Parts: sequence; structure tokens; C-alpha cells
Amino acid sequence: MVARDQSSWEKRPDMTAGYFVSGLVYTDPVIYRDESDKVFSKVWHFACHESEVPEIFDYRVFELDGQSLFAIHGEDGAIRTFLNVCSHRGAKLLDQPSGNAKSITCFYHRWTYNSQGSCTGIPRASGYNDVKRETMGLREVRTERLHGLVFITLDDGALPLAQYIGPALDRFSDMLTSQPLEVFHYNQAILECNWKAWHETNMDLYHEFMHVVLRKTQVNAMPMEDRKLVVFEGGHGGSGGDLKAAYDGYDGFAGRGGDVPPLPGMSATDFRFINLFPSTAIISRGTVVRIDTVTPIGPDKALLKMRGLGVKGESVEHRRIRQKHHNQYWGPFGRNVPEDMVAAESCADSFRNQAGRYQIIARDEKMAGQDDAILRAFYGEWGRRVGRDPGAPVK
Amino acid sequence: MSEHEAIVALIGKSCLTLDDGNFESYLALCAPAYSYCIKVWSPELRKDMVWLEHDRDGMAGVFESLPEHLQRSGRLSRLAAVATIDAVDADKFDVVSKFIVHHTDVEGRTQTLAVGRYNDRVVRIDGAVLLSEREVELETRDLGIGLHLPL
Ligand code: FES
Ligand SMILES: [Fe+2]
Repeated sequence: MVARDQSSWEKRPDMTAGYFVSGLVYTDPVIYRDESDKVFSKVWHFACHESEVPEIFDYRVFELDGQSLFAIHGEDGAIRTFLNVCSHRGAKLLDQPSGNAKSITCFYHRWTYNSQGSCTGIPRASGYNDVKRETMGLREVRTERLHGLVFITLDDGALPLAQYIGPALDRFSDMLTSQPLEVFHYNQAILECNWKAWHETNMDLYHEFMHVVLRKTQVNAMPMEDRKLVVFEGGHGGSGGDLKAAYDGYDGFAGRGGDVPPLPGMSATDFRFINLFPSTAIISRGTVVRIDTVTPIGPDKALLKMRGLGVKGESVEHRRIRQKHHNQYWGPFGRNVPEDMVAAESCADSFRNQAGRYQIIARDEKMAGQDDAILRAFYGEWGRRVGRDPGAPVK
Repeated sequence: MSEHEAIVALIGKSCLTLDDGNFESYLALCAPAYSYCIKVWSPELRKDMVWLEHDRDGMAGVFESLPEHLQRSGRLSRLAAVATIDAVDADKFDVVSKFIVHHTDVEGRTQTLAVGRYNDRVVRIDGAVLLSEREVELETRDLGIGLHLPL
């Protein structure tokens, strides 16, 4: 038997449950709404790095699951997050991606708010009988910081961040905290695919074969069986021991072109990554860190936000080298990222209108090599949260 | 050809050669000490960013490795309009051009991909005008699927 007829194509794959995912998880509008209600409205999300709001009253606007929010550095040093929505008639309060605002004035009827979210002014308030400033504060969203990363949750009753993350970031704590880091690269892109199709590229090691750079620098840099992958409760997963890269294998990457101190706890040729459920990846290539996070816009549209981090206050020359190391792989002109985007959009294209039926995530290499365990951990958590079997999400 | 015409033709050829994948001809337009970078202002970080930076050898390496890479399909079309040419000295010119890049996919649909400016330093060597520096000041920040090719 070679090619398959339609009934065989549609048939549930003859594999262990959890080793395949139905294409409907990318396209079904009801599942999409479930994800919004049961995943995006419930979990902790990476919002920004604290270096993006270094000064008092600095703010950073960002989008999460279609909602606009902003994080602001208060006078007391706390970073708080609010919906970017005026309490009066709903105008968007801040229209720039970042800035500094001691007082936030809504452009529409000039209501004002402070960095703690209190409504501080209502022009001609005497004209209202039952509108009191005290009850017109902004909607605050729970915000916590871990290792310099700012996280938020839309769920007021969510467990504390530390419990949500568990030990998943432990291997990153040194790198992220023993010297202050700073975001030097930011770009975002709207991708024509479901958010998961993008995020899978961060969880799928097997696609190393797609990237010529990784074929030449990574797949043979260490024995596959010596690789260690790890998954955590809550659907997080990544590298349990550092992977290696042999940069000399790719023309122009020899020595990576310049010397800069690696990040704490890493050598210049180490490669470490963690995926935090649902949609954040932190990846370090020895000298530089990338954080990317993806949020849905629609079942087949996603907003991807990518950051590159270096050491705060480092010399111009060091920054330039780190930036180069970042740009070799990442950013819109990197060797790898555009290829991942092609892959994400290509798969999404195939599942539209149910041409493609299943994704196979069945590699079982005992948590080494290119095991699909990280993908399975993700879909396990996804299934628990949305209350559906990822392999058969629609009855 | 006047100096002005020669410079306009140089900028035009830098677009045509890249569009056509004629990289040898592109490099022939570049001085030996060519440097290329793509700069972008980030309103999110309130900082300038560099998204690509190469010397001449680096550019040659990018072109050589291209066939091995997975890229978006279709073609790019770069259109530059020279706005100003300022002589720095007898053999050096600062040239600013506005550019627009369109992408045409394999189905023949064309969309605007990027706009910005080329801030070029042009030099005259042995009578020929050559690019010695190109700073691509990119205004478009969402490129969808990114690019393996310089703009
Ligand atoms: S909508 Fe903001 S003040 Fe009226
Ligand atoms: Fe990839």
C-alpha cells in the first residue's frame, strides 16, 4: 500500500494517543474561541522585559489575544499592567508602542489616570450625578516579574506566577539575572497561520533538517543521544542540558565573527531553550538571547513579537558583535527565522479547509535527539485546558 | 553621461541586479571597501536597531549561500528614486534615494513589502562611480516572512 484514499487519509492515525494532532486545532472557529477563554484568558504570559520600562512612568503597550494593554513603571518601582481602555467610553489611552507618561490623558474627553490606574481627573465632573472618580479606575491586570521578565495574566484568580512556571526557568535564572540585560532588538510580524503553527517551530527539534545552517552547525555538533530534553508540568519544555553548535561549519560563521563574553553559565557554542506554555520561547545561543512570543489574531492569523537581548551597559563594540550574532540566525534578515515562517505558513495553508488532516508528533527518542516530547507536553496541557483531545478535538 | 546621470544609473542598477539575482553584477557596482547595513528605528524600544550588517565579503557570502536556503517564493522588485546628490569632494557623493520594494508571489499577486531610503556614499574610482556604503533606512518593520536577501 502506498498512496492513500480519502478514508485512509481521514482515518485516525494508528498511533498512541498524544502522538498526533488533528488539523482542526488550527482552523475550527469554536476551538479558537475556547482557546481564548480557557487558555489565553487564564494563563501567565510574557509581556516585556523590565529593561523596556527602565524609568519611572515609562510604559510599553502590547497586544494579547486581540486586547491592547500597557505595562507602566510606577513611582514606587512596581510595574503594573492595565487594559489600554478608557473607563469612560472605551477610547484607547496610549497609541504609541512605548513612552513616558506621568499622567495619562485620554484624548477623547480628557479624563486622566495615574500610573497606579486611578482615575485622577474628570473634566466638568459636576455634570455627573452617579459617576465618581473613585469608581472609574482602569482595569488592572495582575503583573509579576521573574528574572527580569514581566508576566501578566488576565485571570484575577490565577495561581502565582512562580507556581505557574515551576522549575521551567531555573536553567535560565543565572543568565537572565547575574548581570542586567537589555532588549536591543524588537520586531513583530503578522503571520498567515494559526499561532500554534508558529510556536511549534520552537518546540520541534526535528526541523533542524530544514535549516541549512543547522544541518551544518548543529545536527552533528554532539551525538544525538547525548542531548537532553526536558518537559515540565504545565506544558513547558526545552533543553535539559546544553546543546552544542559548531559554528565553523557554516561559511561566514567561523568564530561567529568577533569576540564577546558569553552569557553567564554558557559557553559561546552552547545552545539552550525553553518554551513556556502557551506561546513564549526563550532561546540562548551562548552570547545572545532571543525571546519570542506569539498571540492569536484569528484562527489563521497570528502576531509574532521577537526580542533580542544583550548586556546592559556593555561597550559599543560588544553590542555590535552580539547584535551580529543575533542577526546571523534571527530577526527578519536572519538565516533561520524567515525559514521557520515559511514552514509555519506552509503547514497552516494545508490545514485550511481540511486538506491536511493530522500532524504527527510521534518521535520518541527517550528525551534525547529530536524527540517530539516538547510538542506532546504542549498539546497535553492544551488538551487539559480546552477540554478536548488534540487528536480528535471535535466529536 | 553626466556625473549625475551616472549616479542615478548606479542606484538603478543596484536595484535591477538584486531583483534579477545577478549578484556578480551587483558586487561589481560596489567599491572594494563596501559596507552595507539595514537600520530601523524601533518606536517600541525608542532605539535604532541594526537588522543586517555586512562588508563586501559578507555580502558575497550571503549571495553564495542563497541557493541552499529556504526562501519565500516569488520575486522582489525594487524601485528607487534618487532624491538628492551632494558632493562631499570631487570623488565622493552622498546620495539619498527613496525606495519601495514589491513582492510578486508565484500566483502573480503583487504586494508592497517595504519602503524606506537608501543613504548611499558613492565614490569615483578610476573614472567609474561605485557604491562604497549603503545604509538602508527601513521604514517598514513588519516584513511578514523575512528575507534572506538584502533590500
Ligand atoms: S473616552 Fe476617554 S475620556 Fe471619554
Ligand atoms: Fe527553526
